[in-house]
Amino acid sequence: MDYFQYITPVLSPEVLLVIALGTLGGIVIGALPGLTATMGVALLVPMTFGMETVKGLSMLIGIYVGGIYGGCISSILIKTPGTPASAATVLDGYPMAMKGQAGKALGMATIASAAGGLFSAVVLATLAPQLASVALRFGPTEYFALALFGLTIIASLSGDLVKGAMAGMLGVLLSCVGADPISGAARYTFGYTGFAAGFSFTPALIGLFAISEIFVQLENIFEDRVAMVKVSGVWPTLAELRESAGTMLRGSIIGTAIGIVPGVGSGTASWITYNETRRASKTPEKFGTGHMPGIAATESANNAVCGGALVPLLALGIPGDVVTAVLMGGLMIHGLAPGPLLFQENPGVVVGLFTSNFIANLFMFVFGMAGIAYFAKILLVPKKILTICIALFCFIGSYAINLNPVDLYTMLGFGVLGYGMQKFGFSQAALCIALILGPMAEANLRLGLLNVDNDILRFCSSPITLLFLALTPLSLAWPILQERRAKKKAALATPSQETRT
Amino acid sequence: MKRFASGIAAVCLAGFGLAVAAPAQAAEYPARPVQIIVPYNAGGGTDLAARVLAQTLEQYLGGTVIVRNQPGGGGSIGTSATLHAKPDGYTLGTGSQGPLVMLPQYGGIDYAIDDVDFLALMGRNLMVIAAGKDAPFKNAKEFLAYAKAHPGELTVGNSGAGGANHVAIEGLAMAADIKLKSMPFGGSVAAITATLGGHIQAVVAHPPELANHVKAGNLNVIMVMEDKRVAEFPDVPTTEELGIDFTWAAWKGIIAPKGLPADVRAKLVSALDKSFHDPDFLKKMKDMGEDIDYRPSDAYKALAMKDSAVAQKVIRAIGMYNMNAKK
Repeated sequence: MDYFQYITPVLSPEVLLVIALGTLGGIVIGALPGLTATMGVALLVPMTFGMETVKGLSMLIGIYVGGIYGGCISSILIKTPGTPASAATVLDGYPMAMKGQAGKALGMATIASAAGGLFSAVVLATLAPQLASVALRFGPTEYFALALFGLTIIASLSGDLVKGAMAGMLGVLLSCVGADPISGAARYTFGYTGFAAGFSFTPALIGLFAISEIFVQLENIFEDRVAMVKVSGVWPTLAELRESAGTMLRGSIIGTAIGIVPGVGSGTASWITYNETRRASKTPEKFGTGHMPGIAATESANNAVCGGALVPLLALGIPGDVVTAVLMGGLMIHGLAPGPLLFQENPGVVVGLFTSNFIANLFMFVFGMAGIAYFAKILLVPKKILTICIALFCFIGSYAINLNPVDLYTMLGFGVLGYGMQKFGFSQAALCIALILGPMAEANLRLGLLNVDNDILRFCSSPITLLFLALTPLSLAWPILQERRAKKKAALATPSQETRT
Repeated sequence: MKRFASGIAAVCLAGFGLAVAAPAQAAEYPARPVQIIVPYNAGGGTDLAARVLAQTLEQYLGGTVIVRNQPGGGGSIGTSATLHAKPDGYTLGTGSQGPLVMLPQYGGIDYAIDDVDFLALMGRNLMVIAAGKDAPFKNAKEFLAYAKAHPGELTVGNSGAGGANHVAIEGLAMAADIKLKSMPFGGSVAAITATLGGHIQAVVAHPPELANHVKAGNLNVIMVMEDKRVAEFPDVPTTEELGIDFTWAAWKGIIAPKGLPADVRAKLVSALDKSFHDPDFLKKMKDMGEDIDYRPSDAYKALAMKDSAVAQKVIRAIGMYNMNAKK
């Protein structure tokens, strides 16, 4: 089939302009804490109704790709994830910025994001129909096993296992607020209708990371210390790139795979990749102190999810998350139904979308690298003004998602919680993971059991389920084994002291 | 800095002045944009239909009509906002069946179906049962036979506990004297995906959601909950034919809070009537796969009330009545 005729319309100046604008807009939206890619796409989708199909959808894809990338900018510079997908980038990104390497951190993040995005774009274009069938293999038991495996990351992330477990359990408990997924009964709402649907995830996350960070900053706000951070260089050295190359490949594969499974998301992908990279690394203790592979891992994974999520959408007509659901709406209003027939009846649209996904990633790379010097200038803004601006965007962003004032209370509540957690050494990352994966684990566990009439053997019968269930205890045991290995190393390193006594 | 401050002061005064001047111009309705609140996220069926309607309505109403999304609470938050708004004709809502007929029966909702002024029914969403490719039944008769032979084992997915699809399948089971296993998923898409993957045997959903999967041969529509056969599936039997005394369809339309001034209401109703007969509008909706079944105010209200009574019976039977009410 002559694909070239479908690619050339996308390369026309107006479509390229629209993709560039979308990507740039997405980067800005993603970078501002409080505004997310999802919101950007949802707000701008009506604008695309009047445009012709490929043009309008290309712009949305640009916003999606740019938005997921943009979150890393604020994660690295101000310890505040711009989007939920980049929450994991804070762990190594911010310490690097504090060490004066903000530019390099942003450079690595941009390269990793582009690598992940381009990888999944290529996978999407070549293997979409084949991979789509993988999406279908995930039923309730598989989702439960995946979520359980994801939850074990909490064990490795938190310095103090007990505190991490407590944070995780609190997260799961908080995720139970709202409607019971199986019976529909309202839980823990105390009769307050505003919480009938539980805590809205994005405002909770904004509160947990951004608002709590604002509270922390408020303690020192009047000591307007001159930013000690320098922006040294933008391109990571060749050695650093080589160090992270394997990580980026890992992140791209995991991200694409998770993107294909509907409903899991970029946040989970970046956490899982971070954890796996740390496990595979020869120097796991460096992670969390400003280690480049940490950034490479999270950013390549979360951008790879974008391409992956388009696989079930285009090949099966199954949207994996809110953004792809909006894209599906966009397709349908143009009279196009995504699904296996779309490839046969409208190959132009499909190839057009693959191409714009690819191009959007290229634009993202260019704008990202070019803009790093400007992004980093944010650090020179006096803390007082910066904090106020961030707070403003958090409020606007949280409210704009659902136009529901309850979301603002959620944001503030989680902000206070996050502040308390930081003060007492509890991992906010653990709570975040639990908030994402808790509902997925609970709903699917109960659905799965309902499906097999509580027969545990039948529950565990599928290969994918068994795979993740087997990985779970390994993942849990790993930090304990690590501690023991470290203790052994320490004991071996000081034999002289022992002989003295 | 001083100039900046005085600039801001000037803008504030101007804005204040405009705000004060506006009510004086309480002239022709609509004097400002009319908003239709959609209680679901952008991009969904109701949202898209509302947006297309808004475009058409603008021409007949003579003013701007915008759509505002206020999702949450299964549609209750947006619906509540509509019903608590000032009844001046500038805030309308998409009266969807779920939030109006079902949610109030579960309790914990701050409005009731009696607070609604039904303006116009837009369309109905048929309720069909579709079987997966590898399900142990290929048509309605086999479905019923299988259900009777394996009570409580036949898994049918739905879009969520207490939703229209759930109530519909439970009502059908009651009327057909069979026991099914309802599997509530987080939305139709998740339920349909699970059926496609063979994790559950059937799913109850609306035709547009199933269309491309049926065309691709991955799902098989076996039953329609109507009393007459439908054009999209001329070979699929209806519940009426099978001797099951139960039909159900979800619907959506335009509602307003009670208490609209008579002239405003008349204007709205007439504009809506014209919109629903506009050929351009009908074509766009058809392309989107939406069934337009326009009914004026009284017929709409009658349908809603009838469904509310049936729903109450089913909801009481499955034990969900008032489960969320303040005790």
